[in-house]
Parts: sequence; structure tokens; C-alpha cells
Amino acid sequence: MNWPTISVLVAICSLSWANAALAADAARGKYLAETCMGCHAVKGYYNVYPSYRVPKLGGQGAKYIESALKAYKTGERLHGTMNANADNLSNEDMADVGAFFESHGE
Amino acid sequence: MRTAKSNFFALFLLLAAATVFASESATDGASFDEKLKACAACHGQNGDTPLAPEYPLLAGQYESYLANSLRQYRDGQRTNPIMALQMQILNLTEDDIEALASHFSSQSSNLRSLAD
Repeated sequence: MNWPTISVLVAICSLSWANAALAADAARGKYLAETCMGCHAVKGYYNVYPSYRVPKLGGQGAKYIESALKAYKTGERLHGTMNANADNLSNEDMADVGAFFESHGE
Repeated sequence: MRTAKSNFFALFLLLAAATVFASESATDGASFDEKLKACAACHGQNGDTPLAPEYPLLAGQYESYLANSLRQYRDGQRTNPIMALQMQILNLTEDDIEALASHFSSQSSNLRSLAD
């Protein structure tokens, strides 16, 4: 193992230590949320039918996002794209994605 | 444990809301101001301070998204129990939906689009 690798590992470890107080991991959430950005980070993006703006998620409550994703996974909330995306997420993933969005408000 | 607690809290809010609006709904229906207050009771005065962490921020959200959400609750396409009961009590018209969505989207909060 070379020095750059070790310093990256140390950095990751200290990050997880800093986040230890929080149950959810926003850094991991950022990685998982890459897919979300395909719609939620596109300027002026509309859902086609019915027509409405794809909602803002930056700064939204982590617990709300988590519960919305759960509702998409169980089918309590119906939206083709969201149902398909939420289907792949574990409860931990959902909490991390929520933490990521909540930490990116104004 | 946490879920049990928030369920209990939600039930409390439901009963409180039902009591407040029971008399109005039997007569002329709630005024727009009362409808606004019903939203604010859980989502915060300006839709910017949700009472429970599971409730979304409404302040600054896109108007068309908020209006669509209200229509989905009204039409039974979204089935959150608290929102479903509110729809029965408040009897929102299309004008109410437009006005509520416009009101909350024009309030300020931390909410932002990640496209900006």
C-alpha cells in the first residue's frame, strides 16, 4: 500500500468519524444520488404528463425524502421512474440519499 | 419506537384538525384562510418549518409540483392518511389548489434546485 492510498483511507476514516453522530451518511448518499440528478438537477425540467416541475430536493428534510422513497418502493406512491429507482434502494440507502439532499440547501 | 411515536403524533393532529373543522364542513365549508391554516398547522406558518421531520418543506417548492401533489391527494392517487383526511375535510376547489400552491411556492426556505 502506497502513501497516497493510505492518506485517502485516513481521510475517509476521519470523514466517517465526523459523521458518526449522524445515523445517515451524506457522502455515501451523494454517490447513490447520482441517478437522481438526471432529473432533479436539470434546469427547467418538467414531468411530462401531467405537466409539473420536477421538485426541488436541495435542503428538503432527510426524513421526508426517506419516507417518500419508501412510499415509491412499496407502490403507495406511484410514478414509473421513481418506483423503478426506489426499488433498488435499501432503507440505509434511502436514509443516506435523504441526508445528502438535506445537506445541500441554500 | 420512533414510528410508533410519530404515528401517535399524526393521530393527534388528525383528531385536532377534525375537531377544528367539524363545524365548518357541516355548513359552508372552510374559508381560504382556514384552508391555509390547516396546511400551516403541520407544515409551519409559511410552509418552512414542518412540525415533524417526515413532513416536507413547502416553502419555495415549485408551484406546479405543489398543485399536482394536492390534485393527487384529492383524487386519491397519493394516499398519505393525514393528507387524505385533510382532503375530505377541506374540499379543495381547483382555485384553492392554485392559490395554496402559489402561496407556498412564493415563501422562502432552504429549498433549492440542484440545477442552480
